[in-house]
Formats: sequence, C-alpha cells, structure tokens
Amino acid sequence: MSYKSDTKILFKNIDRDDSHKLAVYQGNGGYQAVLKAYGMQPVEVIDEVKRGGVRGRGGAGFPAGLKWSFIPKDDPRPKYLVCNADEGEPGTCKDRDIIRYDPHLLIEGMAIAAYSVNATRGYIYIRGEFYREAEVLQGAIDEAYAAGILGDNCHGKGIRFDLAVHRGAGAYVCGEETGLIESLEGKKGQPRLKPPFPANIGLYGCPTVINNVETLASVPDIIANGGDWYAGLGVENSSGTKLFSVSGHVNKPGNYEVELGIPMKMLLEEYAGGVRGGWDNLKGVIPGGCSMPVLTADICETVTMDYDALAKSGSYLGSGAVIVMDKSVCIVKAIRRLSQFYRHESCGQCSPCREGTGWISKIMDRLESGKGTPDDIDLLLNVCDNIQGKTICALGDAAAMPVRGAIQAFREEFEYHVEHGRCMVG
Amino acid sequence: MSNQSLEATVEPADVQSWIDAIGREPSAAVPLLQAIQGAYGYLPRKAMDLVIANTDVNASQLYGVATFYAQFRLKPVGRHLIKVCHGTACHVLGADRLNTSLNHILGITDEEEDTAANGSYTVEDVACIGCCSLAPVMLIGEEAFPNLSGADAQRSLKKHARKVKEVLPGHEEMQNEAKAKKAAKVQEVRA
Repeated sequence: MSYKSDTKILFKNIDRDDSHKLAVYQGNGGYQAVLKAYGMQPVEVIDEVKRGGVRGRGGAGFPAGLKWSFIPKDDPRPKYLVCNADEGEPGTCKDRDIIRYDPHLLIEGMAIAAYSVNATRGYIYIRGEFYREAEVLQGAIDEAYAAGILGDNCHGKGIRFDLAVHRGAGAYVCGEETGLIESLEGKKGQPRLKPPFPANIGLYGCPTVINNVETLASVPDIIANGGDWYAGLGVENSSGTKLFSVSGHVNKPGNYEVELGIPMKMLLEEYAGGVRGGWDNLKGVIPGGCSMPVLTADICETVTMDYDALAKSGSYLGSGAVIVMDKSVCIVKAIRRLSQFYRHESCGQCSPCREGTGWISKIMDRLESGKGTPDDIDLLLNVCDNIQGKTICALGDAAAMPVRGAIQAFREEFEYHVEHGRCMVG
Repeated sequence: MSNQSLEATVEPADVQSWIDAIGREPSAAVPLLQAIQGAYGYLPRKAMDLVIANTDVNASQLYGVATFYAQFRLKPVGRHLIKVCHGTACHVLGADRLNTSLNHILGITDEEEDTAANGSYTVEDVACIGCCSLAPVMLIGEEAFPNLSGADAQRSLKKHARKVKEVLPGHEEMQNEAKAKKAAKVQEVRA
C-alpha cells in the first residue's frame, strides 16, 4: 500500500489542552492565515483555494473555490456566508469535534472565505442537539470579538465581518443548503428549486455562500501553505485530508483524519481497531453516511476512500461517515429502520418523496414482519425509480439510494424474508 | 394517565421579555419557540397565542414551524426528557434494547404513551444525535450516555433519578415484585 502520511490539518490542535481557547489557537500559529489572506486580493484567495481543490465535505463534493467564484463581484446587495453545521446525516459526527475542540479554526476559515467573496455577515447554523458545541462556539466568537478578530475592523484592517450562531430545531432536510436558508429566515426548512442558486439568490434574496464546517476548517491551512501544497495531499480529484467518522462494529469507533485515497481496509483495520470479530466477520460498509449505498465485504477489501474510487464501486464518499456492519446485522431490518427515518424527514413538498418514502417504509415493514410477497422487492426498486431524480432536493435520492444499494448487494436476504418470513441472520 | 398535571403556567411577562430580546420579525420564529420550549419543556397554547398576538409571525406560520421541526412539542413532557438515538450506527448496535429497558423501568406499557405515569421522564426516539462513535447512545436532558446496553441504560437512569430525586414507577414495581417473591419464599420455607 502506497498510503503513508500523518499530515493533520483539521485535528492538528485537538490534543492540546484548552484547544478551544483563543490563546492556545494563536499560540500555535492561529489567525496568521487570515492575516495573509487580508494581504492578498480576494480573487487571489479564491484562486488559491481552487488550486487546492478542496471539495465540499458535507456530502455533495462540490469544489469550494469554484462555489465562491460564483458570487457576483459588482453587485450592490450584501453578501452572506453561511456555515452548515447541521450535521444530521446518520453516522456523521466529525463537525462536532471540530467545533468542540477547535472552534477558532472554523472561525478563521470563515473569515477568509468571507473576505474572498466580500461577505460582511456570517451565520453558523448548528444543529439543535449540539448544546455544548453551541456554547463552545459562542464562547470562541465572543473571544474573537474581544480580540478584534471579528467586528467592524477585523485585525485593524478596516474589514468588516460579523458572525452569529443560529441553532437549528431538528430537521434533517435543513442540511440541504436551500432548506437551511429557509430555516435561517425563520420558515419551515423546505428546500428551494434551483436555479436560482444561493450564489445569486440566497439568504434574504442576497448572494450567499454555504459551506460545510470541515470544508471551511480546511481553508486556513490552504492559505497558509498554498493550494499546491494541499493539492499534493490525497489523490487526484480528491485532494487533502478528510475526517472519517467510523462507527458500528469496529473495536475503536471514532473520528480519524487521514489523506483521501486511504484503502478502506487500512482505515478500518489500522485506525479503527479492526472489525469486531475479525475482518472475515465483515458483512458490509456504508462508506459515506446512511444515504449512500452499502458496499459488500469483497469490495471493501480493495476500495480506496476517495470520491472517484467509491463512485466507481457503486457508492459515494458523502460526508465520510463509515458505518461498519458485521454478520450479525440483518440488512432488511436496518433498511427498514432507515426507511422510517426518511419517511419522517421528508419535508412533504414533492409528491414522489412524500408518498414514495411512505411506500418504501410500508413495504419494508411488510418484508421485515414476514408478510412480504415476491413482487415486493421489485416494487421497492420501482418506487425508488420514481423518487430518484424527480424531486427538488437530494433527500429523495438519499431515501432511494440505500434501498436500491441494499437490494443490489444483498438481494438474497430480502428473498429469504419473503420465503421464510423471517431473518436470515436469526 | 392524562398529562393534565404537567400543563405549565405561562407568565405573559416572560413571553414578552423573550419577544423583546429576540425580535418580532418572521425570522424570529424559531428562536422564540426555542425560548418558550426551553422554559416550559413544550409549547403551551397560551404562550403560542401571546407570540401570535405580539409579533409579526401569524398563527399559520408559527404552527407551521412548530410542527415542522422535530424538537418542538405541543404536548407537555415529563420533567426530564430522554432521547434514544436510532441512527444507523445505534440501530446496528442494539438501540431497540434501550427503549425496552427504559420503558420497563419507567413502567410505560402502553405503546402510545411516552411519559411515565408520575410525570418524571419522557422517552423519545430521535433520528441521530451525531455522536455515532459512541453508539448506542441516549441523552437525558443535555447529557449524553455512551456505549449502552439495556442494563446500562437502566443503571444510568437510576443514577440520574437519584440525583434529581425522581421516582421510577417501573423500578418501584420491580422492587416490590422482588420483595413479594422473597417474602413468598420465606413463607414457603417456614411452612
């Protein structure tokens, strides 16, 4: 295996005592990158981030620099920067650690991003369940204001950037960027039709950039060390380091920062303490959060953790939530639980998703309780066909993809449920 | 049992003070609801009426928002709220067992009911609380309890109940049953 690197960007400060405090952050070079950025032209900052090639870490994988470059330059409207900290994809718990242990890294990344698009106001939309994290973040913002890092005259350079925390109220769909904007405006978080994209009409009808916590937290190091340095980490099309939240049946679940392109087996065996009961006990892995298709053990043997390799193998990198399932897991039961989640979280504005998630859930109930018919499996696929790609936002896709993936990889388990009225794994 | 006894008493002055601090514009809806629920544990009808009367948020907007987001509740809750995570990681590691154990110790037998009869605790299923590496996990109030088995969940709840001086109806019943069994055995031996 060619992979070997311990470069830390997102977790470089995490082991320090009081790593969430301004003094500790500054003591280790913190807020130098934003000063460097303030000495550059905004467009140069964007170019640097583009060169780094960092892709959106929330799940969609859209290049961050490119997203910033869509903000119109000569536009009299105010510009907004929004940080998506509504970490809600089941399996994902990485942004939480960044906020909790290194909130200033995020604030610095936001200050740089804001400068590059000329945004004077930023919001961090944090999920409601993150009580402590919201407190830590507010504490860090207060410190930054007191030190003149945020406010009307950031670092005495005459640059204005105000930052506020907004607590979410529990809706998975608000992780979708336009749903999040609606929610910030105080409405139900129902996603908007795109185009227009937020870069043109976003928060309060103004140009808005929305990035995930991890994406923004990668920015200070890209500016400090240069885009080329960052692009040298990871593999082609998947540059940089990534946090993987490894959960489920491994001996050492947790968040691990590694370069993109690491073999999945290495991530699980060498970082996450190995699969419970040994590698041969592995049934499958969901590599990128619960809305991504599950991969079978033989694929996990060789696949690498980067955007292209995972897409080629039939799944996606998504948010980097690696859910490991050993042979004790009944796929039908797991998918049934997941389908209840999507039924509940569908915002209800598009019929294919509102109705389809309900149908999937009902069919899964039937299969799980042993009352399924042989046609139900194809009926599931048919419902998935009629949701995927036919809704305003990606929630419909997210509901359909894992079902389709599970049937593709473990069809015999579904058939067993139909034939025997019970589970294959006991 | 009816949750009548759990209805909160709403002080109009309190609601007004939150409106003054947070704002009257439609974008204040979510923070206002959060302030109300933070104080009462749910959204009492009277507090909702006060918001509608004294802000630019109308009734359909306010109720639309209140029923859209999972955190908001229009019904009273127990004095303490337990959230059991059912995200994929928690599911594969046995989150269902936590519900069974908690309901047992709280004496909740009716499937429709989520609050203990004495109004002490409410058990709620949540989709994912975002600490998947600690699965299976539950929250009591704002405190997270990681890596739980069913027995661990009961132990953690007992400990919490002692701390906040709450009685667990199911636990009492379990103890009484155990006592009765013991007494019966003693009698048997005597006989």
